[in-house]
Amino acid sequence: MTRAAGWPPIGARVLAGLLALGPAAAAAQAAAGDCAQALGGPAREVAGEGLVVAWRAVPHPLPLDRPVVLELRVCGRPADALRVDADMPAHRHGMNYRPTVENLGNGRHVARGLLFHMAGRWRLIFDIDTGGRRLRLTDELELR
Amino acid sequence: MTPGRVRRGCAALALLAAGVVAGPALAAAGGAAGRAALVDLSPDERAAILRHGPWPPPPVADAGNAVSGRPAAIALGRQLFFDGRLSPTGAVACASCHVPGLAFADRRARSAGLQELDRNAPSLWNSAQQRWQGWDGAADSLWSQAIRPLLDPREMGGSAEHVRSLLAADAELACRYRRSFGREASEVDAQTALVDAAKAIGAFVATLVSARTPFDEFRDALARGDARAAARYPAAARRGLRLFVGRGNCALCHAGARFSNGEFADIGVPFFVRPGVVDPGRHGGIEALLASPYNRLSRWADAADATPTRHVALQPRNFGEFKVPSLRHVADTAPYMHDGQLRTLQNVVRHYSDLDEERLHADGERVLVPLRLSAAEQADLLAFLRTLSPQGGAAWRAPPLARCR
Repeated sequence: MTRAAGWPPIGARVLAGLLALGPAAAAAQAAAGDCAQALGGPAREVAGEGLVVAWRAVPHPLPLDRPVVLELRVCGRPADALRVDADMPAHRHGMNYRPTVENLGNGRHVARGLLFHMAGRWRLIFDIDTGGRRLRLTDELELR
Repeated sequence: MTPGRVRRGCAALALLAAGVVAGPALAAAGGAAGRAALVDLSPDERAAILRHGPWPPPPVADAGNAVSGRPAAIALGRQLFFDGRLSPTGAVACASCHVPGLAFADRRARSAGLQELDRNAPSLWNSAQQRWQGWDGAADSLWSQAIRPLLDPREMGGSAEHVRSLLAADAELACRYRRSFGREASEVDAQTALVDAAKAIGAFVATLVSARTPFDEFRDALARGDARAAARYPAAARRGLRLFVGRGNCALCHAGARFSNGEFADIGVPFFVRPGVVDPGRHGGIEALLASPYNRLSRWADAADATPTRHVALQPRNFGEFKVPSLRHVADTAPYMHDGQLRTLQNVVRHYSDLDEERLHADGERVLVPLRLSAAEQADLLAFLRTLSPQGGAAWRAPPLARCR
């Protein structure tokens, strides 16, 4: 499930999480929508397996060839750790940069050091450690 | 051209479908001849072409260089750039390899300072617009890039102390140094003098922005729907441009107004320096960058966004990758590739047409496929590439440099 506020309608897809977190699903349903709204501005969100990750890019819209900061919020369950990465599956390569994520508390995080160096379809990857498990959510973007 | 390496074939073939009208506003803008220049472009082609401008871009300062943009420092840097005395032999200046009349390159396959080197000198036009300097991106600013040849025994063979002594002993340089940095060169330590000299050179190089080209005139005519002006762009160049943004997929890496995404790619050219010795390309560049005492994270850098340096990732695929060069002035900068192994622009086009896929890393991206261009298509692509140089050649017009008092 992908929701976007302030973004053009583009194809997006969430891949399944690695492990099911069943009991949290209801809480996540409640959080979906609210999670992106809490970030404010043009935020997108992806959800699955009881978690929601909302994100927005600074600057917006996501530029090519310039460093980008992602403001993030994880809803539904507390995240012990969050990693952010991106790749171009069709090209079989990722970014030339390794982002870092800072936990700001209350489910908020900020990722720095992303740079999308090529036009085309990118996959944003969110790896979330929660309750001793790791869940992966992804979002897909077409950058021009 | 350096499209990356994804095996998705010639994804933009559809863009070449003729007969897509660009829009009624354009059709109304010129006569029949003018209309022909625009109406055969699809909306996607038009958008792709517009992304290669406008030109010139807003000025960019040398990163981490507080004196970039200051006239006094630019004047000092310009004088140093042409001064062979920066080399203890008195025979090698920055301008020895970056010759203004040769697009700030030198037309050698491998440049030579005090000795012959392993790579050729890239053009300095528009280099302030780049995130990384050099074929391997080992420097993250113009000033840190300038330090390497100053000290390299194969290039200028200088030292920090030698630079300090020159700045202190020459009255004109000493005056310009004082005006630039507000102190005497004779009173600073050698490292400070070296970094200051490099920052002055960086400030000068940051002023080198190339002139507008026939392509820019066409691109802007397209942007404003001026069919009559667009019709002045040669038909062969227009066909080549459509190949460039379409079936050739060249714009994937040669993106934006500089015709480069500023990153690195392995395009299947051999990277042996000599039998048994390879040039590691970007892999070595990242290692050198992170080890450099003069990078944007260093104490020598003035306030600068160091995000790319802090986050750059060293990966195995960086072996054999080299900078995606800007294509502005490309017709003036033969020979081509990091070591000048392709003598002419025609050789470069043929390289992409007949690409040897066996040379590409198996785990790399797979954009590159042989384009199999006909002779006519190769000629069109060349015609387009030649429109990326200003009319009248690669001249640099130097404003008079007043004596320092």
